[in-house]
Amino acid sequence: MYIQALSGDAGFLERLARANFSGTVHSFFERTINLTCSENGELYTIGNYQLDNAPNTLIIDRKGFSELGLSTNAPVMTENNTLVIGANLRIWIQQATKWEGELPSYPCDIEGVDVLRRNVAFTKNYVDVYGKTGGMKMSSHPASPFEKEMSRMLIQRAGMLSDDLANNRIESATRHAISLIGLGPGLTPSGDDFLVGLCSVYKMRNISSCLSCPFFDEIVRTSQVLTNEISAITLKKAAHGQVRESLNDLLSCMVSGSMKELVPALDKIIGIGSSSGTDILLGILCGLERNLEAGGNVCLPKS
Amino acid sequence: MSTKVVIKQSTYFDSVSLMSLSTKANQIEGVEQAVIAMGTDMNKEVLKNVGLLTPELEAAKTSDLMIVVKAATDELCESALIAIDELFKKKGGSKSATEIKYSTIDSAAASIPEANLAVISVNGAFAAREARKALENELHVMLFSDNVSIEEEIALKQFAHEKGLLMMGPDCGTAIIGNVALCFGNAVRKGNIGIVGASGTGSQEVSVRIHDFGGGITQLIGTGGRDLSEQVGGIMMLDGIKALEEDEATKVIVLISKPPAPSVQEKVLAQVKNCKKPVVVYFIGGEETPVLEAGGHFAKTSKEAAIKAVVLAGANEDELNKRALNWPLIEEVRAKLTPEQKYVRGLFCGGTLCDEAMYLAMDKYEDVYSNIQKKADYKLKNIHESKAHTFLDMGDDDFTNGKPHPMIDPSTRIARFLEEAKDPSVGVILMDFILGFGSHEDPVGVMLPAIIEAKAQAAKEGRHMEILGYVLGTDLDTPNFDEQVKKLMDAGVTIASSSTNAGLLAREFVAKGE
Repeated sequence: MYIQALSGDAGFLERLARANFSGTVHSFFERTINLTCSENGELYTIGNYQLDNAPNTLIIDRKGFSELGLSTNAPVMTENNTLVIGANLRIWIQQATKWEGELPSYPCDIEGVDVLRRNVAFTKNYVDVYGKTGGMKMSSHPASPFEKEMSRMLIQRAGMLSDDLANNRIESATRHAISLIGLGPGLTPSGDDFLVGLCSVYKMRNISSCLSCPFFDEIVRTSQVLTNEISAITLKKAAHGQVRESLNDLLSCMVSGSMKELVPALDKIIGIGSSSGTDILLGILCGLERNLEAGGNVCLPKS
Repeated sequence: MSTKVVIKQSTYFDSVSLMSLSTKANQIEGVEQAVIAMGTDMNKEVLKNVGLLTPELEAAKTSDLMIVVKAATDELCESALIAIDELFKKKGGSKSATEIKYSTIDSAAASIPEANLAVISVNGAFAAREARKALENELHVMLFSDNVSIEEEIALKQFAHEKGLLMMGPDCGTAIIGNVALCFGNAVRKGNIGIVGASGTGSQEVSVRIHDFGGGITQLIGTGGRDLSEQVGGIMMLDGIKALEEDEATKVIVLISKPPAPSVQEKVLAQVKNCKKPVVVYFIGGEETPVLEAGGHFAKTSKEAAIKAVVLAGANEDELNKRALNWPLIEEVRAKLTPEQKYVRGLFCGGTLCDEAMYLAMDKYEDVYSNIQKKADYKLKNIHESKAHTFLDMGDDDFTNGKPHPMIDPSTRIARFLEEAKDPSVGVILMDFILGFGSHEDPVGVMLPAIIEAKAQAAKEGRHMEILGYVLGTDLDTPNFDEQVKKLMDAGVTIASSSTNAGLLAREFVAKGE
């Protein structure tokens, strides 16, 4: 079966165009197929047309993948501008639009900071009302003692991380960030999602209180062992400032958009996964609030 | 209250499905609490905090899905797990790292064009045909199957030789290619020592000892047990030596085999003589002079082979812990045994480990019996009845006809062990426990009840029961090497540090008047 690729991460498309991609099917779901690349060991994703662009991701013109006869470990290769997955699926990449995600700049003037402050307050209320429970946001009626304890630990650890960031205790912040990795229900644990949101803020250009490289390096390093491969690659990309398109859009709205523009962007994020979107938003809020509090430039030396 | 656990290995469900399953599982009648979550360390910490963490859950990996059910009774837990399984079936999900199945070698070769090796394990009647197909597809072959005729073996090996391919087997159970252990093998360090082995557990033992002495392996090429017979003529061992000689990463070559046919030994040693790399020759029970004349490095034991290899590969011999024999321990055990307890009984999963211990006993005693004895007078007529010193290769066809190998199913060895333990003339029972890929998931654990029972019975009868265990494995192996050793020690078993030391200790424990 031949399917047209609609758009894709520029790096991924270049790799495919160079025929520098071979590997196997790692896992597949109704809307995504994950591929392990033999060349660099990273996971790449094929997403259906309802999904947004993201790092290492190709969006194709098909809704569901369950009828494609896929199997895990099926070989993947490239030939003549076509990505060949297993025996049945061939994806044409020639017409695909290149996507290069870019995080927005943190506002550098008082007016911009005011807009951000207003949007952060709005987003906080929005999450309180519409955010999904079960992860970072505790349900008033947890389904089990496990869920209750999980949310308690997530909230406590995120709180300690937030406190460390507010007080520039970077070593302690790193420890508390690591204590969140792999913690939570779902395929991408809530702690990982929270860190994806947090990293996306601290990787914005002109961020007022930037974090030193070892903080992100440690997140990338430890995520390899503390969480599953699918979540680890998302965390790794976020730690390098690469996040999905809807997250870039949301952050752009947060720094310069109106509330009218903000609502659909927030809805899109809240719709991710079960509680994943809400957990990401709480990470974003944590990062933005700490930066708003810090105000001026308290950038630490990079080491 | 009862808690039941299921671990679904390398299983991924999307977050929405997972949360929905978790909610539904908690609503199943009779369930006090149900958890469905990925097996990350942090999630295990939560389980610990709510009193649900079990050793089984502790072992879950980040890619595994943990399912925990707590209910009033075992029955309720079981029925809840069945209900949860039904929910999973409805949801589907994705399993990672499972095998893709191909119906034929041809379709596998066509679907994976980059593949260059086929591991074949089919009924012996079809094995040669499949191996030939693989060779025709330019694939090296590891043929695990046995019951292949010698004529077919010769034809396959000659065909492979002409094509410049490796034909490992038939009856080849151990190989390490490109740092990947195939069939029965151990997790060993990558290094600069290559092995060509005609005996599976012998190759495993030498690779493990090399790892223990700080060295590492480039490739371990298996040949199959008949390769060095007169008829086959050592085709694969000769090709293996050539392959390792051409392999830049290999600096030292080790050859392992039971004694080859004289004409084949001559051919092999002629190639050793022409080889530009140092070659350590460990032909169990073999002679030193011809090896030295060929410029090879002779090893009498597996441990010596490993030591010579790592030293030739660059290790400083003075810095090696060679694990010398523990003479105070020998004296201690001798003092515990009565004059009547004068025989060794060795019950082995590994044929070469059995052979090595047997040859070491034969250096000291005449009456050494076995089902694999070369001396006709000492080959057991009835394998179910031990005589004097007896060493049994329980993986040999004598014991495995119609049954799984004892490395997989230990029941035959357990029964034999309990029999031997009742014999008042037995001074020591020696057993190997083989870890690594393809082996039993807990080889020590399955023997422990029998060991404890035998020890208790002997104590009741007022005699000491010396059980000597050797765990073949590395710190990288699964199950955990240290845990397996600890279980044995806790049960009062004496541990040998190598196959060689196991053989030496066993024979010395029962020596009288020294």
